[in-house]
Amino acid sequence: MPAYTLSINGKTHDVEAPPDMPLLWVLRDLLHLTGTKYGCGMGVCGACTVHENGKPLRSCQLAVSSAVGKKYTTIEGLSAHGDHPCQRAWIEEDVSQCGYCQVGMLMTTAALLVENPHPSDAEIDSVLSEHICRCGTYQRIRRAARRAAIGRSRA
Amino acid sequence: MKTTRRSFIQAATGTGLVLLIDNWLTADASASFSPNAYLQIGSDNIIKLWVTRTEMGQGVRTTLPMMLVEELDADWSQIRLEQAATIPRFKGIRLRTSGSGSTVGTYAALRKAGATARVMLIAAAAENWGVESSACHADAGVVIHSKSRRKATYGQLAAAAARQPVPENPPLKDPKQFRVIGKPKKRSDGKAILTGKARYGIDTRVPGMLYAVLKRCPYLGGKVASFDKTRCMSLPGVRYVVPVKSGLATGVAVVADHTWAAMKGAETLDVNWDAGPNRDFDSDQFLREMEVALSEPGYFVRGDGNAEKVLPSAARKLEAIYEFPFQAHAPLETMNCTADVRSDSCEIWVPTQAPEVAQENTAKQLGLPKDSVKVNVTLTGGAFGRRLFVDYVPEAVEISKAIARPVQVVWTRGDDMRFGYFQPPSIVKITGGFDGNKKPLFWIQRSVGGDLTVYPAPTEKELADPHHYFNDGSPWGSFDNPYNFPNLKADFVRRTAPVPTGPWRAVEYPAQVFARESFLDEMAYDAGRDPLDLRLELLQPGDTLKLGDAKIDRGRLIQALQLVAERSNWRQPPQAIPGRDWGRGLACNIYSDDCFMAQVAEVSVGKKDRDIKVHRIVCAFDCGRVINPLGLEGQNESGVIWGLTAALHGRIDFKNGCAVQENYVDYQVIRLNESPAIETHFIESDQAPGGFGETAVPPVAPAVANAIFAATGKRVRRLPITPEKLLT
Repeated sequence: MPAYTLSINGKTHDVEAPPDMPLLWVLRDLLHLTGTKYGCGMGVCGACTVHENGKPLRSCQLAVSSAVGKKYTTIEGLSAHGDHPCQRAWIEEDVSQCGYCQVGMLMTTAALLVENPHPSDAEIDSVLSEHICRCGTYQRIRRAARRAAIGRSRA
Repeated sequence: MKTTRRSFIQAATGTGLVLLIDNWLTADASASFSPNAYLQIGSDNIIKLWVTRTEMGQGVRTTLPMMLVEELDADWSQIRLEQAATIPRFKGIRLRTSGSGSTVGTYAALRKAGATARVMLIAAAAENWGVESSACHADAGVVIHSKSRRKATYGQLAAAAARQPVPENPPLKDPKQFRVIGKPKKRSDGKAILTGKARYGIDTRVPGMLYAVLKRCPYLGGKVASFDKTRCMSLPGVRYVVPVKSGLATGVAVVADHTWAAMKGAETLDVNWDAGPNRDFDSDQFLREMEVALSEPGYFVRGDGNAEKVLPSAARKLEAIYEFPFQAHAPLETMNCTADVRSDSCEIWVPTQAPEVAQENTAKQLGLPKDSVKVNVTLTGGAFGRRLFVDYVPEAVEISKAIARPVQVVWTRGDDMRFGYFQPPSIVKITGGFDGNKKPLFWIQRSVGGDLTVYPAPTEKELADPHHYFNDGSPWGSFDNPYNFPNLKADFVRRTAPVPTGPWRAVEYPAQVFARESFLDEMAYDAGRDPLDLRLELLQPGDTLKLGDAKIDRGRLIQALQLVAERSNWRQPPQAIPGRDWGRGLACNIYSDDCFMAQVAEVSVGKKDRDIKVHRIVCAFDCGRVINPLGLEGQNESGVIWGLTAALHGRIDFKNGCAVQENYVDYQVIRLNESPAIETHFIESDQAPGGFGETAVPPVAPAVANAIFAATGKRVRRLPITPEKLLT
């Protein structure tokens, strides 16, 4: 089995995996970083979103062989104490219901705010519409993303 | 509960003498006080609360502890939540989660459990201080003797409290004293969820476990004819190939070092299928046959007055047929189960609404006593009725037994979409009429549909009884029609498909309420009446309608209608949006007989390409006492979005005996860009809490359809409502 060296959450991990194994399953089944979720397996639900060099990426769509030499951040590495502005905003707005999709929503928003600290409502709606929440928490997701954006721009 | 108390005393053996010499403040650190199954107070001042329902987003891990904390007068910082499992501690206590019943079904028991502990803690302190219990009170985890200002924490009192007699009927708080119930409370798992630490079923990791994915027979009722594992076994990471005969969607399991290898293995596996008897099943054709069946005699559901007799005398009558297609649950976490079968025991970790059933079935499957099977209930990534079924459990058990290792079975998204227990389709025909004074005269509702297989299928004898569905109070939404027609008839024609079917969010209500509330709108427009006014008239005199065990208080629905009318500006003229037709629509629902809701949808339709935009949905409830307003608001928003998916997108088709849709690409669900502003308004109530989590779902489709009619004059009676249906 081929071996790969990956950079995840600031640490180096050596894994043995088939070259086509998506990063999602490397994270979940080989590294036991289960905060990144499986939802659809085809990049349409957003539950598996991580950051690749700071940009949002659907980890179910990236083969491990293409992940070498890039830096990945998962929810486990987003903040040391669970206090990223998005995490704080999501808790403040009490967004989660079942919560399964929220990590993906939050990772996309966190990446958006780095690229664009003052996104318009339309920009927030646009990137988060690439995600699915079957509990339908969209109203609060929208509020939390706006709150996080305001929190960041004040900081 | 004497056993619990005895077991405590045994656990605290050796401290008894110390306690008697009034040194209980430094009692054995391992002592604990557990007057009932729901809570345990340790001498370390930590309070464990067990949650006896499955968390599926409805917030039970917040609401249920709120009820305990209220009566216990504990401090939230002391609380640690534990999830109840199928262990002796919970014998006789329901763990199943269904029917919007988690709050309704635990409110009395949890309040009593908390109050019991409070009374015993106060009694322990009073005894030690040599004062009357009535001179002491509890506050935030501390018992206080008001006069002397002496205090003791619950942890300090735990050992002594356990020796107090258990009160049979501990006094409950007057609701006016509530400090927790009725106040907004954020969900207890919020931070764990948002830091990735929360464990769902699919996140279970057990030492030595392998992962399994099945290649499942695509045909309804088909099975494996033969398979060749050669190609599959050559894939890296694949360990075993195991035929699986148990569960709902049988096939061949590929067991591997990780989920990906198992998925690839299942794709690669060569299997020949025996397509079985349903290879020609076609859901479009089935829906047409259901419509033909409208002419067959039906089972009695409801008969007030004599609708058929007065029908010819009606000054005006109308008739319409409504269609509700197959629907999937499609929760974001696919079905999964982790099982570790040993020679004399079995442990299971599973996101399920029905752990007791999982335990019982597994014990039977393995020939073990029930107590040798432990089912741990994990968090669930959505459930919506799908996880009332436990078909994914025996698969994992069968595989774990075959390979003698713990295994996690993961359903792919395709599996989850194609092999569920679908919401069955319905065809509903309603005929209604007015007398010469435009007064509603009669209502005849005939429904064609199937049974929900979560209940045992009706026996031949039951089916021979023309009152079988009436006895069950089914179909919901037709049987319990709250509107006061002098002549009302409802019946039911049974048509079952070879598709596994089950309750969806709102169980049987969505199809019937869609038809009922749409047709009321049709009647109102036909008579030139305001749809709100017609409903208010039909709920007069605001009395209580008794149907079997159910008591439907029409007055409560009237109040909900009045509130929604006010908050939605129902009486105001329609809005004007350039290039679009704009309209409002109204619909109501009563869930069981304890949650009353009225809903107004504001919708616009593009004049040219007829695209549909739902702008705002205003909801008003009388749901009895609100435990957690923040949680209920969320549940309402969630229910509205669920209903909106059914209104605008949802539909599962079967062709050639196989489900057609495979993922969120062809089974579209509402996303953020389609999500309207949702308002939730409550009527203050002292009535017992009602079931809430599903109530908002059924009115959405009719409210939207009625709004579209108001906007465009176009009536859509077959779901989903798509722009194409508005073009012609």
